[in-house]
Amino acid sequence: MRRSLISSKRQRYIAGIAFTLPLLVLWGLLLILPIIQTVIHSFTQWNGIHSSWIGLNAYRRIAADSTFWRVLLNNGFLLISVPFAVFIPMLIAFLLNEKVPGWRAFRTIIFLPATVSWVVIGMVALQFFIGEGILNNLLKHVGLGVIHQNMLASANFAIVPVAITFIWSQVGPNTLILLTGMATISPEIYGAAQIEGAGWWTIIWRITVPLLRRFLLFSLTITLIAAFTALFSLIYVMTSGGPNYGTTTLEFFIYQRAFNQGQFGFGSTLGVVLLILMLIVSAIQFRFVRYDEG
Amino acid sequence: MWLAVSLVFAASAAFASGSNEQSSAAGQKPVTLTLWHNYGTEINAVTTKDLVTAFNDSHPNIQIKMVSQPADNYFALLQSAAVSKTGPDLVVMWTGLFDLKYKDFLEKVDQYIPLSQLKKLKGIEWSSDNFNVNDGVYVVPLEDQFYIGFYNKALFKKAGITQVPRDWNEFFAACQKLKDAGITPMLYGNGGQNLGAAFYPWYDYSYMMIGAFPLEQWKGFYDGSIPYTSPKIVSQMKKWVSLHEKGYTNSDVITTTNVVDKFMKGEAAMFMDGTWDTATFEKAMGDNLGAFVPPFSDNPIHGVVEYAGDGFSITTYSPHKKEAAEFLKFMISAQGQNIIDKAGLIPDVQGHTTSDPVNESMLDFAAKQGFTRYPMIDNVLQGEVVDVGSQVLDAALAGQTTVEAALQKMQDAFNALPADRRSSTYK
Repeated sequence: MRRSLISSKRQRYIAGIAFTLPLLVLWGLLLILPIIQTVIHSFTQWNGIHSSWIGLNAYRRIAADSTFWRVLLNNGFLLISVPFAVFIPMLIAFLLNEKVPGWRAFRTIIFLPATVSWVVIGMVALQFFIGEGILNNLLKHVGLGVIHQNMLASANFAIVPVAITFIWSQVGPNTLILLTGMATISPEIYGAAQIEGAGWWTIIWRITVPLLRRFLLFSLTITLIAAFTALFSLIYVMTSGGPNYGTTTLEFFIYQRAFNQGQFGFGSTLGVVLLILMLIVSAIQFRFVRYDEG
Repeated sequence: MWLAVSLVFAASAAFASGSNEQSSAAGQKPVTLTLWHNYGTEINAVTTKDLVTAFNDSHPNIQIKMVSQPADNYFALLQSAAVSKTGPDLVVMWTGLFDLKYKDFLEKVDQYIPLSQLKKLKGIEWSSDNFNVNDGVYVVPLEDQFYIGFYNKALFKKAGITQVPRDWNEFFAACQKLKDAGITPMLYGNGGQNLGAAFYPWYDYSYMMIGAFPLEQWKGFYDGSIPYTSPKIVSQMKKWVSLHEKGYTNSDVITTTNVVDKFMKGEAAMFMDGTWDTATFEKAMGDNLGAFVPPFSDNPIHGVVEYAGDGFSITTYSPHKKEAAEFLKFMISAQGQNIIDKAGLIPDVQGHTTSDPVNESMLDFAAKQGFTRYPMIDNVLQGEVVDVGSQVLDAALAGQTTVEAALQKMQDAFNALPADRRSSTYK
């Protein structure tokens, strides 16, 4: 009997490995192997055909590049936009969760931008923000022409319209995620709180937000990843990274160096830096989750 | 058993490959070549299609299939294809340092076309190893091109300008007259050449450098003997930037869109562009269109950017190099040159002229008025420097950075290059 149990456990173990193996092989070939290759290439000067090992000088080279620090600053600015891209949808989700009249229609409308490609979003945003665009025409027509702005043409402020567009694009998916999270909270908890005399704000702050914590963390994580790794098309269409590198992010910089200039070694080094940055941020996220579970 | 099967397969494959080569060489079995281009829908694409159609008609055993590739990552695609040896037989290639950068997978075409014939092509040295024809030629140019200024004759007349300006002083005076007449003198913005969202500053920069340095000194940009921060360049740049400061350009030089359409509609008097748009402008503006040499010079300018900027190359990994060379021969034949002219481009073979009056007026600058032919400067500077310049030069014009800071960034990019890429040998 005991032998049969052990045998059955062993068979299940082997079956588990067998079923998981294809995925592990795919994962290894398509994700881990390219990452290892990128790390190796990051220590080289590689133009796609010829490669020479330059070791840590590769990293010293990017540290000495003034453009790299400007690019990191732009990433830092996008990082600041991430909380806005989560908390604005959270407010919208609160309203929709109150089942205001027409909430189903609003939910669909708010989610629509998420179905549009970054290129289209970028083109629309460009027409909105440019000097002779919709925003300035609107200001002019309401008598506020004096505050005419052309932020996209400003090296210091062009990142602002890019960040605003990014926040807008994240409203749909994040609203949906948080609305789903709110649906998991039992109405009885709200009922009990109301009986105890809790007001609207107390209910949100003391009940909804803590119970939404996992969903908020999820939204923050995917929004952060999007901010750092998914804005290439948006930036390409809106500004091409300019003016004067004012909107070049690390992701865009990798493209410029690797694919425009054929400096695949330099691009790999930047890619590893981006990976490390993402790992650090993810580690912080995981720490939050562990704290929550503890 | 497996060994035997493998041997049979290998032998069959070898036989098939050998017989295919033999039959194509004998002209019995049609060969299909692939040609990659990055022309999008512009006139060069139309011209290439016309050439391919005529070639296919006259060469029933060699058929060419055109494949349009995205312009923005065209060279990365070419490189990837070369590494995997799965790319095309013929490729559109830019001349100057571009073809030298990719020469590892470009066949020297002088093995297939006599050098004497290639030397009849204007500016062929810029398609050659170390810019010396005798070292081998990598690209057969499609056309003769110009970076040039276009102007609206009616607007010039309206502002009382009777002569095209020839130096900075005359240029500023003309701009002031236009401005006084309520006309925007110069138009900048995106929407010209399809190279990204920003405007392309290298047309202007080419003429600024023509105004500052003779052609024989231009190698100094490549080897570093002329730093980007040199007083001459700073001075030229400051004059150029003052165009915006003095209100001689549209106010938003960075994000103004559809500039080509705006120029054609008469929203500005002058526009910097290239010959690839001549036909489009002529169609919209008729006799109202004129071409001028941007006079970015303290003395009357005597140089023009006339340069064969792009053409076709044969890949080293093509199994049909001889057949691909047939297309290049066809392109530089009288029939090919006529097709190029008819499409609205300027034939590059010496002796073949153009039937287009505006293009003809451009050819006259060097051919009849003694102007020196200069290359497009972005084709003979290191790509890394060009990329940085594309970011900072337009920012300088817009007043978003200083001239000194912009040029210092270009110098920094130059300094970061490996030593062998800023030496006396072009690579």
